[in-house]
Amino acid sequence: MLKRAIIVGLVSLGAFSAYAEDVPITGNVQSRCIISVDTPGVYGNPNAYTLTTAAADGGVQPIVRYDVTLADAYYAQITTPTSFAQSPSLSDTVTWTGSTEVSSVSDATGMGSYETNKTTFGQTTQYDLTVSGSTWFKSTSTATYGGNKAFPGGTYTANVEAVCIAK
Amino acid sequence: MTLLFLLTPFFAFAHEMTPTYPKWQLSYLDGLLVTEMEMFNKRSDVDYYEIAVFDEKWNPIPFVSSYKVYKVEYLSRVKFEIYIRERDRLRAEYICSKSKLRNEDKTSISSMICSRFK
Repeated sequence: MLKRAIIVGLVSLGAFSAYAEDVPITGNVQSRCIISVDTPGVYGNPNAYTLTTAAADGGVQPIVRYDVTLADAYYAQITTPTSFAQSPSLSDTVTWTGSTEVSSVSDATGMGSYETNKTTFGQTTQYDLTVSGSTWFKSTSTATYGGNKAFPGGTYTANVEAVCIAK
Repeated sequence: MTLLFLLTPFFAFAHEMTPTYPKWQLSYLDGLLVTEMEMFNKRSDVDYYEIAVFDEKWNPIPFVSSYKVYKVEYLSRVKFEIYIRERDRLRAEYICSKSKLRNEDKTSISSMICSRFK
């Protein structure tokens, strides 16, 4: 009886192994770039004729985050404003200056050279995103009213442009 | 739970477009090529995205799509097709989608993502 039970058990095991199949798991890793607005900026007004996002002057620097899932596949281009999106009527010229720098990185070793390797043309700063992961960039934008005149009272807004371009 | 709260702000305002490297395919329309793109809107401050096709020097290339400005609801995906003339195949270098910011009383960040034909 015991012998028969063992034989039946072995046959059952054999049957199971005969029907066992590998279950395939497939995946498709697709490269992508995601631009996230981390912090919208705010202009401070350190004097009558200057608006700036510099923290030391009461502003808030806009921070944008880039997430890339594939190394060496994208450029990040960040352009600081050259005009107001909204403002009171201005009769004189406004001089714009701006700069962008790396604020934080997810991979300090691989992304440590981003800041030194950046290229700047006009108000635009370009970074070569050679490592996958997240990078935060912060910008400073300053608007100075012509002839050091006082900015008229009202609401002033401007937009930073963050671009992610596939290589 | 704490981690969730820490992560949430980072993903609250994001713009995404895939594929990064699209391919042109023959369409059912004679003389036109088509490619399919997908946008995902995680920007609660943006409802509309404008699409465009550019050559290597960022000159616009004529294209046809259902819309040039797509409404993409917050946390939703939109798939769209872009058609170009077959003779523009080698000129077309980038497909870009750009956020259309609302005219609000606050400074913001416009985002643009460009896929590239290789």
